[in-house]
Amino acid sequence: MQAHTNRRPGEIAFNAALFGFSLFMFWQAYQISGFSALSSAGAFPMAMSAIMIIASAVVLFRSLKLASPGGGWSGFRSEVLPPAVLVFSLFILAYSITLKSLGFLLASFLFLLVSIWYLERGRIGRTLLLTVASITGVYVIFRVVFQVVLPEGIIPERAILAALGDFFAGSK
Amino acid sequence: MMDALSYLFASWLQPELLALTAVGTAAGIYIGAIPGLSVTMAVSILISFTFGWEVNHALALMNGIFMGGVYGGSRTAILLNIPGAPAAIATALDGYPMAKKGEAGNAIGLSTVMSFFGGFVGIIVLAAGAPVVSEFAILFQPRDYMLLAVMGILLVGSLSGESLAKGIFAGAFGMLLGTVGLDPMTAEQRFTFGSVELMNGISPVALMIGLFGVSEALLQLHNLHLAAVKQKVDKIIPSFSDLKKYLPLSLQTSAIGVIIGALPGTGGDIAALMAYDHAKRVTQNPEVPFGQGAKEGLVAPESANNAAVGGAYIPMLTLGIPGDAVTAVIIGALFIHGLNPGPLLLIEKPDMFWFTVGNLTLANILLLVFGLTGIKVFTKIIECPKGVLFPLILLLSVVGAYSINNSLSDVWWMLGFGVLGYFMKLYGYQVGPVVLGIILSRLMDDNWRRAIISEQESLPAFFYGMITSPLSAVLFLAIVLILLSQTPVWRAIKMHASPRLGRG
Repeated sequence: MQAHTNRRPGEIAFNAALFGFSLFMFWQAYQISGFSALSSAGAFPMAMSAIMIIASAVVLFRSLKLASPGGGWSGFRSEVLPPAVLVFSLFILAYSITLKSLGFLLASFLFLLVSIWYLERGRIGRTLLLTVASITGVYVIFRVVFQVVLPEGIIPERAILAALGDFFAGSK
Repeated sequence: MMDALSYLFASWLQPELLALTAVGTAAGIYIGAIPGLSVTMAVSILISFTFGWEVNHALALMNGIFMGGVYGGSRTAILLNIPGAPAAIATALDGYPMAKKGEAGNAIGLSTVMSFFGGFVGIIVLAAGAPVVSEFAILFQPRDYMLLAVMGILLVGSLSGESLAKGIFAGAFGMLLGTVGLDPMTAEQRFTFGSVELMNGISPVALMIGLFGVSEALLQLHNLHLAAVKQKVDKIIPSFSDLKKYLPLSLQTSAIGVIIGALPGTGGDIAALMAYDHAKRVTQNPEVPFGQGAKEGLVAPESANNAAVGGAYIPMLTLGIPGDAVTAVIIGALFIHGLNPGPLLLIEKPDMFWFTVGNLTLANILLLVFGLTGIKVFTKIIECPKGVLFPLILLLSVVGAYSINNSLSDVWWMLGFGVLGYFMKLYGYQVGPVVLGIILSRLMDDNWRRAIISEQESLPAFFYGMITSPLSAVLFLAIVLILLSQTPVWRAIKMHASPRLGRG
């Protein structure tokens, strides 16, 4: 990272939030056991949050002295939160919410399909192919080889796997 | 002794372990090489998938990835001028100019063999040094552990970050996160806000996946459509005369690498930069000037960063203090497998230590094999479009976090830390100290309380003990020096004394 003379958009707000958070955590740490003893359960958390307060205050103070980034809201949008990041984050959120109810296979399929299509802006056929190939790869490596338990959801994959196993066992 | 030997070669003789090491090393090379994928990211995500495994299997995979990944970063540094991993930043300085002159194959070959040499030196020092350190470590008082942990956090925060204050904040924040839950000594609740789920604390794995995986992927979306430049690659195997010529430099910089790697908190990236600087100072008349494709500038960082791998395992296995971010993650994995890295590990579990040494050696040899072959496939794979790569990383992150406890709450934590990490990185905070902090928090807290209880809660007695015990005094002095070296006054003196050095 290079040292910079200009603030990045939103830097003060972020540093101020960290400072406020540090104050809050110090207060919470004080609630644990107050100033009762140096070896109390709250002593170490209090020390750490105190360090956080001092460090974040220094950072905040320094960022206040830097020149304003200019650019306003549009500068913030292009430098800090470009549309790609925002939209993609929403995809991740949707994926996490639906993972359990839809199950790994279906939720991942939808997530990959939409996000690859969005990020690559490619043809739907190619996207579909990449998605299916990726999911098959992940599924084989993690579910079949590594035996990781993945949320099943509405596709009865365990039953399918078992049936497949029986089929191959039976055909021997 | 025979026992130790049998453990040493365990991963060579068991086909399963051999295969896992090979897969890990090969995957590591690609993970390290693909910009946007990092070893820390891969190892963090993999921890959650290897929960159910035997510890040796999990270790074999992670050792391979670590070894391969540190080397893999050099590939893209040479071919694209984009270091695939932080440890390869110095490699790009002379590697890319070599590639531009059409010597990409030569550069890759040389860096592969030198990485192998470096890695080997690191492993030898690990095998010889760890038992010594471990015996010495038994003398460590709780106070000394505390100081070591502080030193580790400070080194990560100060050497790699934008400002010391940000590094200290990140470290303290990580430590604080580590205290969430029931206090192990008194069972008091800390920062639980009445929630039952928080009583077990924040999962370090969710935190790591969030900070190293999600935030990095989000950040990389900023430059999604950077076009890659292609290079011609031929003649990989380096000439014998080159090897002979650069071996002394390789050995010197390997020594630098091991030492830097063994310091708590510093890893391959810093080792590589220091080695590069060393090469610049000792090479009187380079054939090609530094920065324009000097082979010395390639040999030095590549030997050092792989030597740092072995070095980083020393404090991890003997003191329970991670040497760098990757070993912080590996310590997390060892905890999960019920192992307690520390001075007693070598005595109680010598098998694990010798297994690790043997396994790293195996990974190092495999690195040489994979490094000198498969270049054609390699150039195809690194062209993998980012728009496919990032959704896949995110998918693995979400599924990885989910499989820690088969619950969605770890996913939420991971996503939360992912977003936080995104902003932290954007505003110049390092996330490494946070991870180191959450791993070291318990060690710091416990040892602080033991130390202060043994001094009857007296701070003056605590400080008196710190200055009068030689070991504590040295550690304390080191911490003071680290802090001082970050102050503007010191920097001004240094710049004044050696204006030619500058950064790096």
